Amino acid sequence: MRLWLAVFLARAAGWASRVLGHGGSSLPGAVARAIAPSVLQELGRRLPSGAVLVTGTNGKTTTAALAEHLMRRGGRAVLRNQTGANLVLGLTAALIQATGWRLLPRADLALLETDEASVPRAAAELRPRGIVVTNFFRDQLDRYGELTHAVRLVARGLEALDPDGRAILNADDPNVARLGEPLRSEQVVFYGMVAGWGDPEDSPGDVRHCPLCGAELLYRRRFYAHLGEYRCTGCGWQRPPLTVAVEEMDLVHRRVKVRFGDVAAWVPAVLPGTYNLYNQLAAMAWAWSWGMAPDALGEALNDFRPAFGRMERTAVRGREVWFALVKNPTGFNQVLATLAAEPQAAVGLVAINDDYADGRDVSWLWDVDFERWLPRVAVRQWWVSGRRALDMAVRLKYAGVAAEALTIEEDLARALEGAVDSAAGRVYVLPTYTAMLALRRHLTKQGAVRHFRQG
Amino acid sequence: MTRTLTLGHLYPDHMNLYGDRGNVIALVRRAQWRGIDLRVIAIDVGQPVAFDQLDLLFMGGGEDRDQARVAKDFLERGLVLRPYLEAGLPMLAVCGAYQLLGAYYVTADGQRLPGLGFLPVHTVAGARRSIGNVVAEIRPHAEWPPGLAGSTLVGFENHAGQTFLEPGALPLAHVLTGSGNNGQDGTEGAVRQHVIGTYLHGSLLPKNPHLADCLLAWAAARKGWQLDSALDDRLEWSAHRALLRRFHKRGLGGRHP
Ligand SMILES: [Zn+2]
Repeated sequence: MRLWLAVFLARAAGWASRVLGHGGSSLPGAVARAIAPSVLQELGRRLPSGAVLVTGTNGKTTTAALAEHLMRRGGRAVLRNQTGANLVLGLTAALIQATGWRLLPRADLALLETDEASVPRAAAELRPRGIVVTNFFRDQLDRYGELTHAVRLVARGLEALDPDGRAILNADDPNVARLGEPLRSEQVVFYGMVAGWGDPEDSPGDVRHCPLCGAELLYRRRFYAHLGEYRCTGCGWQRPPLTVAVEEMDLVHRRVKVRFGDVAAWVPAVLPGTYNLYNQLAAMAWAWSWGMAPDALGEALNDFRPAFGRMERTAVRGREVWFALVKNPTGFNQVLATLAAEPQAAVGLVAINDDYADGRDVSWLWDVDFERWLPRVAVRQWWVSGRRALDMAVRLKYAGVAAEALTIEEDLARALEGAVDSAAGRVYVLPTYTAMLALRRHLTKQGAVRHFRQG
Repeated sequence: MTRTLTLGHLYPDHMNLYGDRGNVIALVRRAQWRGIDLRVIAIDVGQPVAFDQLDLLFMGGGEDRDQARVAKDFLERGLVLRPYLEAGLPMLAVCGAYQLLGAYYVTADGQRLPGLGFLPVHTVAGARRSIGNVVAEIRPHAEWPPGLAGSTLVGFENHAGQTFLEPGALPLAHVLTGSGNNGQDGTEGAVRQHVIGTYLHGSLLPKNPHLADCLLAWAAARKGWQLDSALDDRLEWSAHRALLRRFHKRGLGGRHP
């Protein structure tokens, strides 16, 4: 009865807040947990195939979207939390949303993008059948203090993994790979790359030392930042053997040969950039570990459409507008690297907000390697916008962008309209999280993108 | 003939936590715009350094583990480095580097770790992190070059350590918004000779061009040069003033250009 009341009132609260025009993604969760503190646990237990958490610094949303797509193609009813609603309240709201009046779930399986800080609690309550970990980068340090703290949080979550569950771990990231150390080998699926579009100039990023003994790591190959094939010069620990691995690249047909256990298959590389290939690999590794055949995976990926903000392309008044979320130096560098491969002249718009969800400290803009990438990107005019537009303008000035090539417009909607109007061809829009939501609302009003709740 | 200055960037791979690179970028660009070639030499753990070849030093903050790794190396250089700092070699030390230049650091479990002891400050591990935007003012003092006294600094702090000044020590600034050194006495950072220690990120120098120029002027003066003053800093000051307006509601006089 208490559970029913919690679900009923939470849904009423969610409905009211949507009618009032708020996003309403965490309110239902808060209401439900106040009435029945164990609501997440109890609703999770009713899901026939349980819950899977997707966590890590970058790529959570893309990985979850890909995994959902694969599962649906495989005939399963999947529920997912709203993009960004990835704290415990957001997860709770997602499960409530997918629960009917008789407390029966309308899904077989919950696929939950989960913030690192929420992993211990979410795992303790849901006892997930799977935890997918993408990578660890420095991100929003004002929230976690340190990188190693985020790693410890996810390690605690893994302790609550269902005994028959699987940890899907990125073997190429030493901090993710080390999470597999305390687990039994049949509990872990390691994914990684044997062949890749490795960039030898790419800076090593955040991890240079062995997570076990602290000695220097020696990389035989790096695919981007600190992701690659490594070995410790101290204790000899090395990248674990790969269960799911990219073995060959075919740049012409944008496809990759992936080995799943003993079976290899060519699958399309559905999104640009090495970082997205890792996300795709994570989603495929998970779907495969749940019994999907390699051929079926490749088939299912053919009609995948990316989530808004992760390099989505849309059209505004005849201009091709590309959106890519930026939230930390590594992600931003990867986006710039992807744009550098596009020869068409374009207008760029960088929109930086500093709300909690964006990270309040914008120091990270100085760790983005604009000095290296801007000369290779075919953008002749940069617009800067958002609450930290001026910080971004100063950053671009010091990266060598001339005053004539820089337009400052703090208002996001006006900046987007201005950038589109001034563009002959393409517009690249690179917003932080809350700036992306605001730009999306603006475009939805203009009818340019499908509605957020369906995104 | 091109004028050249050399900046020693201490431990760029380990002490680079919050956009500290931005400080180096700002110094390089502002020198370049004045026709000075500012070369950057990365100084890593165990790497020999000829301090007499350096005109300027920079060191940022790192995660605890990285910091422990460099602390030993940095303190071993103390005997050689100190006389240069005493003689006026300019240095900017942010966050962890600031703490390492002080007398000592008391960890959460009561251990007392020695520092270089150049800045008359010491640091005690705090229970709570001080995190947030900072607005501070530099009060007039005989040590300051013109343009700094009475000006403001904007930045972002993120530190668990609480730093306390010994009697007679000169703070860099006094906070108007934010915690500063310890959240109690209103001071932020410390200065001795031409060494500036501070908790401010942001990055600090790009949005505080007067502080960047102060360091460059100190470095140039050791060569017997004057720093040609005027650069077009309208954009930098707009960014600076926007943060003043937003995070210090009382507003400050418009003494910046
Ligand atoms: Zn090791």
